[in-house]
Amino acid sequence: MADETKPASGDSAGLSNGLVSHGDHKSRRVYQAARSLHSGAVKDLLSLGVCERCIFRLVSVEAFDSDLSSVSASTLRSWLESGDEEAASSEESSCCIVCLGVLQFVFSDAKQTLVRSECGSDYAARVTDLVKEEGHEFDSFGLEVYVPATILENERAVLLYLKGKYNSESWLQSEKISVKDALKVLVLDPLKVSLGAKSDSSSFQIRLTYSKASDEAQGASETTRERKKRKTGMSRLYDHHITWLTLLFDLVAIYISLYNEENGSTSMSENSFEKVYEPCILSIHCNKMPIFFSGRYFKYSRNVSQTRWIIDDERMGEASVEVVHLELIGGNILPACLGDSYKFHAAGREDIDVRMLGSGRPFLIEVQNSRKCPSQQSLTEIEEKINKSEKKLVGVKDLKFIGSQCWAMMREGEAEKQKQYAAIVWIARPVEEKDIDSISSLKELKILQKTPVRVLHRRSPLERERTIHWMKVEKIKGSSHYFLLHLCTQAGTYIKEFVHGDLGRTTPSMGSILGCRAEIIQLDVTDVKMGDS
Amino acid sequence: MEETQNIDVTKNPEAEDAIESTKQKQSEEVEHHCDEQQKQSQEEDELRKLLLSDIEELPLSPPSATQLNFVSYFITDFTKPGHDHYIYRHANGLCVIGLAPTHRAFKDQGGITNIDFNVGKSDRSVLKVSGKRKKNAMRSESNTALCKVSTANDSYIVRCCVKGSLLEVNERLMKQPQLLNSSADREGYIAIIMPRPADWTKNKESLITLEEYKEKKQDILLEPYFSDIPHLRRLALMSDLSSRIVSQIEYYFRRIRAMTDDIHLILRSMGSSTTVEVQVNS
Repeated sequence: MADETKPASGDSAGLSNGLVSHGDHKSRRVYQAARSLHSGAVKDLLSLGVCERCIFRLVSVEAFDSDLSSVSASTLRSWLESGDEEAASSEESSCCIVCLGVLQFVFSDAKQTLVRSECGSDYAARVTDLVKEEGHEFDSFGLEVYVPATILENERAVLLYLKGKYNSESWLQSEKISVKDALKVLVLDPLKVSLGAKSDSSSFQIRLTYSKASDEAQGASETTRERKKRKTGMSRLYDHHITWLTLLFDLVAIYISLYNEENGSTSMSENSFEKVYEPCILSIHCNKMPIFFSGRYFKYSRNVSQTRWIIDDERMGEASVEVVHLELIGGNILPACLGDSYKFHAAGREDIDVRMLGSGRPFLIEVQNSRKCPSQQSLTEIEEKINKSEKKLVGVKDLKFIGSQCWAMMREGEAEKQKQYAAIVWIARPVEEKDIDSISSLKELKILQKTPVRVLHRRSPLERERTIHWMKVEKIKGSSHYFLLHLCTQAGTYIKEFVHGDLGRTTPSMGSILGCRAEIIQLDVTDVKMGDS
Repeated sequence: MEETQNIDVTKNPEAEDAIESTKQKQSEEVEHHCDEQQKQSQEEDELRKLLLSDIEELPLSPPSATQLNFVSYFITDFTKPGHDHYIYRHANGLCVIGLAPTHRAFKDQGGITNIDFNVGKSDRSVLKVSGKRKKNAMRSESNTALCKVSTANDSYIVRCCVKGSLLEVNERLMKQPQLLNSSADREGYIAIIMPRPADWTKNKESLITLEEYKEKKQDILLEPYFSDIPHLRRLALMSDLSSRIVSQIEYYFRRIRAMTDDIHLILRSMGSSTTVEVQVNS
């Protein structure tokens, strides 16, 4: 147990500390890997202030894997050190110059307190606490990590230094795993255990965002600093000279940095390693993909005011077609899902003064970032609650949860939808029997509609051909000038303009068919035929 | 539904089982069908009740779509005396321009016989405006010429009266100029113009409302003869006759005119040169 296998490439200056205990084979693997690292490089990096796991990441030939998370940083350090006194253990508490504490499991939380975790499971436990605060219900999750950009710059600087010193070494040539991916590898398994969930690219994402503690750019790369100096110097020149001269300088700077990357530089410029490195601030955000509910809605209110127009100088838009009280439906579902917000999509819409009766219009509610998925039982309760509400403005039918095929359901039949209406029509002369017959006999009547004046300000002026599939006239008791007109038309037909003719821009119109003036008093949608549902 | 089922059965005469089962299904479905029909008619009744729920509130003669959605403005003696136009402005800002009932063109015997949109630098009837942004619309000033209407004796230039983009001209008028005589305020509109909000505010100052128009032109509006429909409309304006009665009178008047035309035809064929004239005095 006391003798460890000596590595092939290491020099014999590295004495192994035989007092390390190997409880399980994971730790032993890590120990062996630690001892197999190039000890000169390890010593250099330790003295620069690079953390243990970053050293593993940068110097090891083997793939960086999750076994490392079970070993605490201090243990790792003791295995990496050769026992020389120069490796001062008081550096333990300082922040890594490459990963800024990310891989050391050190971060500041929202209250600016420093949180340290020794090993992966401890870190996972803290993350779990923060995730649980968001209140989501989930059984699988995906993990995303965001780190500040300076980490990449720091890493590049360190690699340059290593290349300068150990250019020919084999371990230098392999692809190094990034800090982001390294963190994911380290914490994924402990998180799975601690959250009690599977991991997959699912609908629920946990995002760990590390951001820099201070706002000033630390360790800015050479090129940006030079660029800043240059700008003040060039202020005397004309603008157009500046643009292509700065372009030229940028190209030169890029060339220089490329050259450096290939050949390395033996010493780092004084600017690079004198900064104070602070741990990052970690914020956790959980996001669930939107969930959908479908159903059919009815609209019973006909929000018409007597004075429809106000004579003033403001350009008044048409009465808003977005019906505010339809939001009642979403407003009831959102609390049941504990979501952040919702969007209401309907398969078409009707004017504010038109009621939606009959079989209802299909709609979708999209809930963003819902915390829990309501059961069918609770959906039925919501439906009843809306239908029984006092004001009787809207009604809902068939409210249910629906998966990703919802959009297909909306798209299909959108252009082929036939719609049925019932309108109360007034004409200038009494209704006669022959009118009823002549109207009912018109099947598949083709009409040409120019864009109605009431929407002409926001739609293109086109001439649209539409079909009226059938019509039926019903006399109204007690009035000789009014009748009830049932009609079934192609999607996109303007019914009001078909009745009153829109200054003659819709032909044929009810008025031209009957030979007298016709006006529409009220309009109701009685059916919205979807493809099959 | 039952018809299609019979056709299916006759297609497969050998499959007796098939016939058996379809017959069974048929009878089941007939029952189901009856239930459904009952349910359907129940639903229809409920629907009808809803549809006709506001029936008591139906007015005897409702306001027209034009009256509901548009605000009427008039401009009188525009560039020349007797050139009166109406501007109906929709709630969305678009303006419909046409000839007001007191326009001089209506006084000429026989009314308006022809209309020509080829005035000024271009033919207004061939402009094609496209897209939401109304590309290619002609920008017009208030005195830009819109068209020329001709009667038997004279011709008059109609101007835009509103500064804005010309969206549309009523090219139906080219084939049916009599629309101007019969319904200049509806099917006989001349053009649709879209003014900018700032331009409209400035323009508005030179326009007058319906009430002011009636007052200003009451001598013309009260001229006591009825032989043509525009005059009828003038009277309706002045006396606030309900539009239902006006349209009824219009309708019967047209019938009388058709009858007098027929009478003329018969008289001509009999070789007589008698003329029939109908006059109604107030």
